[in-house]
Amino acid sequence: MLHAAIRAIEYYLPERTLPTAQLAERFPDWSVAKIDAKTGIQCRHIAAPEECASDLAVAAARKLFASGACRPEQIDFVLLCTQSPDYFLPTTACLVQNRLGIPTSAGALDFNLGCSGYIYGLGLAEGLIQSGQASSVLLLTAETYSKFLNENDRSVRTIFGDAAAATLLTAAETDHPLIGPFVYGTDGAGGENLIVPAGGLRRPRSPETAAAKEDEQGNIRAADDLFMNGPEIFNFTLSAVPPTIHALLEKSGTALDQIDLFVFHQANRYMLDHLRKRMGIPAEKFVLAMQDCGNTVSSTIPIALKLSAERITGGSTVMLVGFGVGYSWGATLWRANAPLVG
Amino acid sequence: MSRAEFLKSIDEILELPPETLQGSEELDEYPLWDSTAIISFMALADSNNGTRLSPKDLGACRTVDDLLRLAKVEA
Repeated sequence: MLHAAIRAIEYYLPERTLPTAQLAERFPDWSVAKIDAKTGIQCRHIAAPEECASDLAVAAARKLFASGACRPEQIDFVLLCTQSPDYFLPTTACLVQNRLGIPTSAGALDFNLGCSGYIYGLGLAEGLIQSGQASSVLLLTAETYSKFLNENDRSVRTIFGDAAAATLLTAAETDHPLIGPFVYGTDGAGGENLIVPAGGLRRPRSPETAAAKEDEQGNIRAADDLFMNGPEIFNFTLSAVPPTIHALLEKSGTALDQIDLFVFHQANRYMLDHLRKRMGIPAEKFVLAMQDCGNTVSSTIPIALKLSAERITGGSTVMLVGFGVGYSWGATLWRANAPLVG
Repeated sequence: MSRAEFLKSIDEILELPPETLQGSEELDEYPLWDSTAIISFMALADSNNGTRLSPKDLGACRTVDDLLRLAKVEA
């Protein structure tokens, strides 16, 4: 039977950077050491004013094609995950198809998810390939969250960075899925805890939504800007992630110690350290890869996979877990059939 | 974890010298009692005995003793 195999991953980070030292100067109550201890992030990359999600996605995809993993004309489906699209319409994936020279016979769609997006993208790709609808899927994740951040809101500026990742999934003849099973979860009751309140059609931008106010913590933001309720997000993570991991292990008939590598959404180091200890995962099997790029939302998992490529060989079993905005979460296992190309 | 150990951990969270807090202190007096500190306290309670604390309940705490009661720390 045909199943999706991850062949190659590349990522792109914008040139402009925001080092922690610069943030510590701007927010003197938080030292470099404190920001580093809490977030594990030393540098974030920030898209230029004219640089949008499609530009980042195209750059990541071009790196993937340049690696020799495949040619644009071989792609027959483009999946693009973003919450910061170039336009309300048209679909960003359609613009990317044209710019990359992917055939017009290819399917293309956007899907709007954040930190869980990569897991859902893998699920969609496996479904497309296993059902025979596609044979070479280009899964793109691209975010420019920096455009949603108020420059005076340290609670989010210390964490988020911009990036895009491109993952090539191709059909492989195997007895069992190489990616799966999947465990998904959704709880829209948490939508208000990670949100850009204005700018959509429910609350269009206006002088009122642009007016910034200071919160109890001294962070300044407007309704046009991204709001994150950190304690509520932490609470959600503690509620959702451990049961999801248990469910995935049970569904796959796998024991925790049979997993070679754990790649979670790189939210921040403090949260990941706590989750790792809580789950009894050995530190040497647990990937931390946010230091040089921050929390890049749906791109954190593919970036972490690429940075861990030398640890993934044919036969490796990797657990992937995404969780965040929505609330939305998901987890899967990737049984690598070969090292990544490139 | 004992009450004394919990107090010591809150000292650390608020970047205070060890054995500063006694329990009756008002949280409003400490500018470092912010969302980051609240997350650290949630993690502390979760690590200690798996007590999951609601951010809303934590927001209602006025003193260090209120935090300890919420985290089910024995007096």
